[in-house]
Parts: sequence; structure tokens; C-alpha cells
Amino acid sequence: MVGGYNQAQNNGIELMRHVVVVADMIVGAKNDLVVTHALGSCLGLMVYDPVAKIGGLLHAMLPLSKINKQKAKENPFMFVDTGVPVLFKEIYAAGGQKQRLIVKAAGCGNPLGKNEMFKIGQRNYTLLKKLLWKNGILLESEDVGGTDSRTVYFDLSSGIVKISSCGKESFL
Amino acid sequence: MKPNKVNEIMDKVDSFPSIPGAAAKLMALLDNTDSSAEQIEKALKYDAGLTANILKLSNSAYFGMMTKIGSVKQAVVVLGFKKLKELVLISCIGSLLNKQVLGYDLQMGELWRHSIAVSVAAEALVAELKISDSEDILTAALLHDVGKVVMGEFVQKDMEEIWSVVSKGISFEAAEEMVLGMNHAAIGANILKSWLFPKHIVDAVRWHHNPEEAPEHSVIIDVIHVANILSLMIGIGLGSEGLNYQLIPSVTERLGLGTSNLESVASRTLQAVNELSGLLECG
Ligand SMILES: [Fe+2]
Ligand SMILES: [Fe+2]
Repeated sequence: MVGGYNQAQNNGIELMRHVVVVADMIVGAKNDLVVTHALGSCLGLMVYDPVAKIGGLLHAMLPLSKINKQKAKENPFMFVDTGVPVLFKEIYAAGGQKQRLIVKAAGCGNPLGKNEMFKIGQRNYTLLKKLLWKNGILLESEDVGGTDSRTVYFDLSSGIVKISSCGKESFL
Repeated sequence: MKPNKVNEIMDKVDSFPSIPGAAAKLMALLDNTDSSAEQIEKALKYDAGLTANILKLSNSAYFGMMTKIGSVKQAVVVLGFKKLKELVLISCIGSLLNKQVLGYDLQMGELWRHSIAVSVAAEALVAELKISDSEDILTAALLHDVGKVVMGEFVQKDMEEIWSVVSKGISFEAAEEMVLGMNHAAIGANILKSWLFPKHIVDAVRWHHNPEEAPEHSVIIDVIHVANILSLMIGIGLGSEGLNYQLIPSVTERLGLGTSNLESVASRTLQAVNELSGLLECG
């Protein structure tokens, strides 16, 4: 697993904290707390199997890998179209089953103004929906769009996803 | 209306640190084309930290020199004055920017990473769009948000009032100005003015959020405007103010920027930021 770790508490259980940086992904199991900071236009995708108690978090930056195929080869997690399939593959490899999966999305924000070019967040979200639809997977819940910076805390013991955004906390 | 904080803010600008002595001397030497490699070596002689940083940067993958650079003298010859000036600035400015910033809620190191990201993205835009006249773009990019270091505590104190303005859809720097009488870009410009930086760099910092209000359009302002918002979008230095900044459409028209240019630059920025900020961990 990537990222620094320290411990957090949940119902008296020690959780190991793992940080997913931009263009990265982590798949873990119960007792892991997976965190990703400062989602702007990036997509944060959380997938959880409540029976196997495993889950994964992807922090993808851009929609389509064709923009930089070299980079996509080095790091598929930079792009939604290459990162999402790898996340699901690893979830299945870890024992997750498709019909049990709970999928949640966060991020995909956009700056102010009407400039379409800078709506990378919107393009990330549209592509995600297309990929999920093609594979017959539904989004359970989402906190996407707008101008917020979002930090995600994904507790793999319970599957609970907490979003913190400018001092306010909410659950997905 | 309650009095704004301009006087109080400007007092803080006056007591803001200047560029470290050795660096200021070096920059002046490097501005003068008559300076010799020996003079530059001499100016660096007693600053082992600065020398080490310059050599590390010269040999980094990002600056991509073909030969290994082992001495200051060699760096002068291989890099040239212009590039070396940029490296001196990157090497010494970290100590000013590598700190936690209140108000915007930037953790230790985040403003520094953001400054590097905007510099890297700006240079990538220059290359992508084949812009020829890009002198000093890296310097301006590196320092564009220096005003946040001063502004942070003021933003923190009047956070609620600023947010009540922002929640109406007004951009964050405009809200700063409405509540505090001044925004972080204007503060940054005042700091650079006190450092006697050239006007085109001061202007780039002053107008990085409002290129249309600049007395004259310039490529530096436009490029930094785009590089800044792009860096925030990909989460580097994205503070509690989120993406509450306005992207000015006429800027992308002037630059001839397209969607694929923008995304391509984003894809190339991340790795360079990680490499450079890792190299200069100590600031
Ligand atoms: Fe700014
Ligand atoms: Fe900035």
C-alpha cells in the first residue's frame, strides 16, 4: 500500500490510515481507513463489498487516456477510462462480487464561469456514468460538481464514506 | 460600512522578509550580462545550502541537462545566466513559501507545492502553445501567491463575512477585496515591488486572477491565470476556498488554448511537481 499511515479510532478498533494521492488507487480490507485529500475537478470513486469487507478508492485526474498514452501506460490511475476498470479488477481479485458492490462518487468540481474547456470535472463525471452504465453498475450516492474542495474518508470496516468540505462534514 | 484592513495589511507587507542576502546578490549578478563565472562562484562560496540546491536542480530530470553538472562554474556554462537565475530563485524562495497558511487552510508545504505546480504548468503551456516571448514566466509563477502568506491571518479572522460573499457566486479574491479592502494578488504585487522586481513580473502577480483588469494584456498574465486554475483543479494547493475562482474566457482565446492542450498540460504537470518538491524538501 502507498502513502503514510497513522491510526484512527472507530468503535474502539484501531484503523490503519492510508492516503491516496492524485492519480493513485488503493484497495484494502477491514481495519483500513482510506483517505484522499483535496478533490477539485478530480474524481474520487469508492467501491465497497459489504460481505467481503473489502473496498477501494481511486483518485483520477482526467477523463480520457488518449491525451497522453505514455502516461496512461506508466500510471493508469491518472485517467478515468483506464483507472476505473483497474479498480474493479482489483476488487474482484480481492474477493469482491459484482452484485454486492456499493459504488459512490465524489469530486468532479469545476471553477466558476461558463468556460466549457475547464469543465474537466464534468467530463470526468460524464465518462464515469457512461462506464458504469455500460457495465450495468449503479451509483449508490454521489457528492459531485460545484466549487468545493472535498476530502474523503472511507472506512473499510463499515463501508462508511465521510466527506469533509471547508470544515463541514457529511456522509455519503 | 466598517473600515477595511488595508493599513493593517500594508504594515505586515512592510515587515515581510526580503529575499535572502546571497540570493539577492546572485540575482543582481545574473541580471548583468557582464558578470563573470568567477564572480558568481564567489557569491555562492559561503552558501553551501544554496549551492547544493542549485546542483540538485541542475541535475534533476525536470531540467533535463545532458551532462552531469558537478560545480557552480559548470552550471554557469551549461545552463546560462537566465536558467541559473530561475534555479537560484527556486532554491531560496522555498523558505518563504514552505509554511502552513491559515485562512486558506493550506497544510505545511502545500503553498510551496502549488507554487511549483503553477510554474511547471506555466512552462508546459509555453511549450505546448509554442509561445516565444516567455521571459520571467517561471519567476512570476513561483511567486504569484506570495500574498497569501500575509493575507492568511486576515482571511481567517473574517472568514464568515468572506464566505457570505462567496456563497453568492462571487469569486474568492473579489470577496477578499470587498471584505478586507485588498486581495492576495495585490498584496503579492506589493511585496514584489518592495523587492524591486521588474514591473512585468509585479503585474503578472497583481492580475493573475483578473487578467482583463490589467492595464495591458500580457502573455505572462494569461499563462499564469490558466496554470493557476489548472493546478487548483487537480488539487495541488487547493485550499478551503475551493474552486471559487473565475476562469476568464478571453484569456483562452488570446492564448489559442484548446481542450486537448489543457488536458495534456495537466497530465504532464503532476510528475514534475513531485520530483521538484521532493528535491527541495528542506526549502
Ligand atoms: Fe491566487
Ligand atoms: Fe494560486
